Amino acid sequence: MSDKFKTTRRRLLLSAAAIPLVTLAGLTIPVAPAWADDSVLYGPSDPAAKQGGSLTVGSLIEPPSFDIYHQAGEAVNFVAPLMYQTLVYADHDGNPHPLLAESWEVSEDLTEYTFRLRSGVTFHTGQPLEATDVKYGLDYMRNPDNGTIGALDFADLEEVEVVDPLTVVVRLKKPNSAFLITLTHRNGSVVPRNWFDGETSRTELNSKSVGTGPFKLAEFVQNSYMRLQRNPDYWQPGLPYLDEIIINFIPNSAGMLVAARNGRVDMAVLVRPQDADQLKNDTSLTVQRSRSLNQKSLDLDSTYGPLEDERVRRAVALLIDKEAVMQAAISGYGQVLGMMVPGMQDRWGVPLDDLPNQKVDVEKAKALLAEAGHPDGIDLELRTIIGYDWMEPAALTLAQQLQKGGVRVTIERLDLGTWLQNFRAKKMGFTLNDWGTPPDPNILYYRHFHQPPEGADFRNWANADGSRLLDEGRQTGDDGKRREIYNEFQRLLAESVPTVMMFGSDHIVVVSDAVRNHTMHPIGWHFGLVKTWIDQE
Amino acid sequence: MRRFLLFRILASALTLLLASLAVFLMVRAVPGSIVETMMGQMGSTEGEAALRRFFGLDQPVYMQYIDWLSRVLTGDFGVSWRQGSPVLSLVFGAFIVSLQLALMVLVVSSLIGVPLGLLAGYLAGGVIDTIIQSFNVLFLATPVFWLALMLLFGVSALFHWSPPTIYASPGRSLSDNIVILLLPMLSLAFLQIAAYAQFVRQHVVEAMQQEYVRALKARGVPPKVILGKHVLRNILVPLITFMGLIFIQILGGVVVIESIFGLPGLGRLLVNALYARDFPVVQGALAMILVSAILINLLVDVLYHAIDPRLRT
Repeated sequence: MSDKFKTTRRRLLLSAAAIPLVTLAGLTIPVAPAWADDSVLYGPSDPAAKQGGSLTVGSLIEPPSFDIYHQAGEAVNFVAPLMYQTLVYADHDGNPHPLLAESWEVSEDLTEYTFRLRSGVTFHTGQPLEATDVKYGLDYMRNPDNGTIGALDFADLEEVEVVDPLTVVVRLKKPNSAFLITLTHRNGSVVPRNWFDGETSRTELNSKSVGTGPFKLAEFVQNSYMRLQRNPDYWQPGLPYLDEIIINFIPNSAGMLVAARNGRVDMAVLVRPQDADQLKNDTSLTVQRSRSLNQKSLDLDSTYGPLEDERVRRAVALLIDKEAVMQAAISGYGQVLGMMVPGMQDRWGVPLDDLPNQKVDVEKAKALLAEAGHPDGIDLELRTIIGYDWMEPAALTLAQQLQKGGVRVTIERLDLGTWLQNFRAKKMGFTLNDWGTPPDPNILYYRHFHQPPEGADFRNWANADGSRLLDEGRQTGDDGKRREIYNEFQRLLAESVPTVMMFGSDHIVVVSDAVRNHTMHPIGWHFGLVKTWIDQE
Repeated sequence: MRRFLLFRILASALTLLLASLAVFLMVRAVPGSIVETMMGQMGSTEGEAALRRFFGLDQPVYMQYIDWLSRVLTGDFGVSWRQGSPVLSLVFGAFIVSLQLALMVLVVSSLIGVPLGLLAGYLAGGVIDTIIQSFNVLFLATPVFWLALMLLFGVSALFHWSPPTIYASPGRSLSDNIVILLLPMLSLAFLQIAAYAQFVRQHVVEAMQQEYVRALKARGVPPKVILGKHVLRNILVPLITFMGLIFIQILGGVVVIESIFGLPGLGRLLVNALYARDFPVVQGALAMILVSAILINLLVDVLYHAIDPRLRT
C-alpha cells in the first residue's frame, strides 16, 4: 500500500468528526416491522417439520478459518450465520427484522439507533447475552488497529452506549439509512465481551464457536470437513430442526457431481451453475434455482490507458452482448443485469431497457472511439482471476465481441492474492469481477463508487455527481425517495461506465429427496439450513 | 561406508539450508500476502497494517528468515496463519495420507510393472511384447487427471457407487480407508506400471545381448532362472534408482489426484496454503517434500552399496 493512500485514510478519520452534519428536511422514520413475527427469520417455517437427523452438505469452497472478526471471504460467510448472530436479520426481500434485538427505535435524523435486546439468549459459552457484549463487538470491530475486516462498515459510528443490560444505543456521525442492513452482515456478529483479549482466542474459534446461533461448531478438519451440532439452548423454540450438519469440502466439480449422484452428500451447492445440467435427469435429486445478490461485472479503471476517456468506456459498453457472455460463462443460469443485482432489481433497479448503452451498437462504438482519437481501435489487457471458472469463457467471448468494434483484448490471468492487491491499491485496470452485497443499494454502491475519502472509488471514477447522489441516498429514509435517487445513480453509471454489470448467477442447490423445506437466501449464506429438515422415513 | 554416509548427510543438510532460503524468498516474492486474503475487498488500510504487524510481515525479509530459521532449528515450525494449528502436525498428518497413497502405488505398480517388463524384454519382438508395449505407450500418454475423472465417472455410471467423500485414516476405519484410496491408487498406478514395464524391458533387452546371458542360455539354464536370478539382479541398481525417482514423482504428483478425490494430503495442503499465502504452512510442506526427497535419495544410495558389491570399498 502506498504511503499516499495511508495519509488520505488517516486524514479521513481525523476530519470526519469535524464535518458538520448536513441539515436534512423531510425525513421519515423507516416503517417499523411487525415486532412479534419471528417466523420470518431464516425463511418460511414448515408445520410438518420433524426434528432430528444429520445433513451432509457438499461445498466446493472451504473457510480458511472461523476467526469471524479477522477473516473475510464468502466461504466463511456461508457458514458463520449458523453459529453467530447479529442484531438484525434481512429477509429475502431485504427488509430488516429483529434477530438478537427484540425491537428498535430510530431517531428522526437517522443517527441514533436504540436496540432492545431479547432476554434469555445465551452464548455457546453459557453466558447470557447482554448489551455490554453488543458494545464490545461493535467497538472491537470498528477499531481498525485490531486488524478487523469490518472496520470500514462501522467507520461512521460515533459511540455505542449501554443504557441497561438489555438496551444499547448506537450513535452515528452521519445519517445512514442502510445501517440496519449493515448490521445484518456477519461483521456485526455478537460475541461474548472481551473475547479477543485472550491470547489464543482467535485460533480457538476453529475448534469451537462462541456465538448465539442455532448450531455450534463441533469439529473443523482442514481440507476435509466441518461438523455443526444443534445448539440445545437455542432461543427460538423448536429450532433448528436438524441435529447435525456436516459440511464436506469437495474441491472439484466432478467429485461433487459424482458425490451428489451417489448419495454421498444430501445437498450440494454448485458454484458452477451449469453443472446442474448434468444432474437434470437424475430423478432422486432436485435442482433448486433462485435469484442472488451476485454480480459478474466488467470493471473499467478510469486511470487505465484509453479508458480515461468516458467515450472509450461507453464504446466498450456498446460492444457487449451481456446475454451471450452469460450463456458462455454459466450456460444461462443467471439474470442479465442493468445496473442493479438480481435480488434487488424489482425493488431498486431501473429496467434494462430504460438505461443507456445497453444494446449492442458496433457503429456507434466505432464512432465514439474515433471521436476519442482512436480511429484504429485500442489495445487492452483484460484481467481474469484464476480459479473463477466462469471468467475464462466470459473473457474469450468478450474478446470476440470487443474485437468487432476495434477493441483488441489480450487476457491476463491473475491469482486471487495478486488481483486483490491490485484492487486494494486501486489499480484494477480492465478486469472481470465477481461480487455480492447485503440487500441495500447504499451498501452496494457507496464504498465502490463514492469519491475518497468517504468511499474507496476502486475504479478511480472520480465522479462528483455520483458522490452527491450516493450521499443523498444514504441520508434519505423514505423508500420512495431513495428509489428515485438510486434510479438516477444507475442512469449515471450506465452513461459514464465505470463498470458494466453483466449478469448475476443464480444460486443452484441440488438436494436429495429426503431434504425438506430448504430455501436459499438471495445473499447465498446458509440461513436456510436453520429451517431445513430431513424426512427420515 | 560411514564416511560416505557422513558426507551425504552433511551435503543434504547444506542442500536443505539453501533450499529453505530459496523457498522462503520465493514464497515472499509472490505478490499478495495473507493480509489481503484475510481482509478481502473491504479491508481498511489501518487494519491491513495491524495484521501485517500481527504476522511479522512488517519486518525486513532477512529478519523474517532469521527468525523462522532459528525457530525451526529448535524444532518449532510455527503455526498456520489461518488456523493457528501447529505446522508440524498439519504437515505430518497430510504427509501420512500422501505417503500411504504413494506407497500403495509403488507396491502395486512395481509388482505388476516389473514382471511385465521382464516378460516383454525376454520375448522382445513377439506378440506379447507388442501387446505390453502398446499398453505402455497408451498409459504413458494418458494424463493422470483424465484417467482419474474417467474412473470416477465410469465407476459411478456402472455401479452407481462412488467412494466416501470424507477421508478416513487407516486407524479410524481400515476398510473405509482402502475403499477411499482405491480409485486414486488406480489412477496413478496405470502410468507407473507402464513406466516400470518400459524401463525394465529396455534393460532386459540390453542384458539379453550380454555374454553372460548367452552363456547361461548355452548351458541350458531355464529362462525363469535367467530372468529371475541373473538378469533381474543385474538391473537392480538402475531399477532402484528409477524407483526412487518415481516415488518422489508420485509424492509430488498426487496434488491433482488429491484434489479430484478430495484427499487431505500434502499436495492439497500445499496448494491451499499457497493460495491463502499461509507462509508457515507452505514452508513446512515444502520442507517436508525436500526432506523426503533427500531421504529417498539417501536410501537409494545406501541400497546401492548393499546390493552391488563392486561399490563397497
